[in-house]
Amino acid sequence: MRRNDAIAALVAERGEAITVTTEQAIGAWRAAVPEPANAIPDHLDIVGCMGSASTIALGIALAQPKRKVIIVDGDGSLLMQLGSLVTIAGAAPANLYHFVFENGVYETSGSQPLPGEGRFDLTQMARAAGYAHAVQVSDAGEFSAALPQLLQRAGPVFVSVRTEPEDGYLVRSSAGTKMDQQMHALRKRLVGA
Amino acid sequence: MGAMVSVAPVARPVAADSLLDVLYELGVSHVINVPDTHQRTLLAALSRQSRIKLLTACTEDEAIAINAGLWIGGQRPVLSIQQVGLLAALNNVKALAMDARIPTCMLVGYFGRDVTRTARDNAGNGVKLIEPTLDAWQIAYFPIEGPEDLPKLAEGYRHSLEHSGPAVVLIGAPTS
Repeated sequence: MRRNDAIAALVAERGEAITVTTEQAIGAWRAAVPEPANAIPDHLDIVGCMGSASTIALGIALAQPKRKVIIVDGDGSLLMQLGSLVTIAGAAPANLYHFVFENGVYETSGSQPLPGEGRFDLTQMARAAGYAHAVQVSDAGEFSAALPQLLQRAGPVFVSVRTEPEDGYLVRSSAGTKMDQQMHALRKRLVGA
Repeated sequence: MGAMVSVAPVARPVAADSLLDVLYELGVSHVINVPDTHQRTLLAALSRQSRIKLLTACTEDEAIAINAGLWIGGQRPVLSIQQVGLLAALNNVKALAMDARIPTCMLVGYFGRDVTRTARDNAGNGVKLIEPTLDAWQIAYFPIEGPEDLPKLAEGYRHSLEHSGPAVVLIGAPTS
């Protein structure tokens, strides 16, 4: 499926969830929401910390157990901190929904292939790590249809979203991201300080 | 055969319970750790109580990221890691503690330190380069070289909050 179709489906189902995106998902998310970039409520764009988006989301999920937290991750990003699957599963946040967009390449740096692409299975890894539920989806219609139910499950839920590499998309979609301001604004919204 | 010479340690142990009491006084909510040899008695003390949540991460990068998320969500976390783990996670110190201005207080043990010498006078690069590295990065640090330095834990924690950034509390000798 195309990344933008999957993102559009997630945006439509996000409800009151706190949302976290990283790398190429940042631009797609910005294009799909009505709010202006850097002013999306209860949302963070994570850049510059190499695979840490999911563990930042874990911390928020543990701190705010009554709020759902949706993290839109990438396969290359997750591979940079693969042990985070075990850390997340160990902490067992029931409110964390981990979507990993798998296109098999490091798109941000020029679409170089991932090491071992085609030989590893992140969904199986998440399941073996101890996520409460792990599934892979590769069809946009199937993804849209499955989303409401996935977001009702007790987490941590892992969803591999198999997308096509988008040739030539070398523009950094995170350009202009103000991660620091977003983080401090989100804290203020959540706890008023 | 020469006489045995005993050398007085430069760094002496601080009791885990004393450190724990300070963490209670500071209102710390979570300790995120990647297990540190020097702080094993502190980790054991933390594991025997429930007032502060003890979380274990696979890497120090993860620990710094979890710290950020917890702080964003209104909690009062600190980290317990080893100095070589700090070196491994410097990119996240840069991205989250420094660039994103997240209070990040790290209790850092000196794995492999010869406690009869100052850290800077240790032979191993993994020990002697820590303070110069922190100096180069302009990261404030608060060495605890013995029980009399216990107040430095609170100083380091408050520094991280007041300056919205990193602070390193160096645990000079294994906790007792």
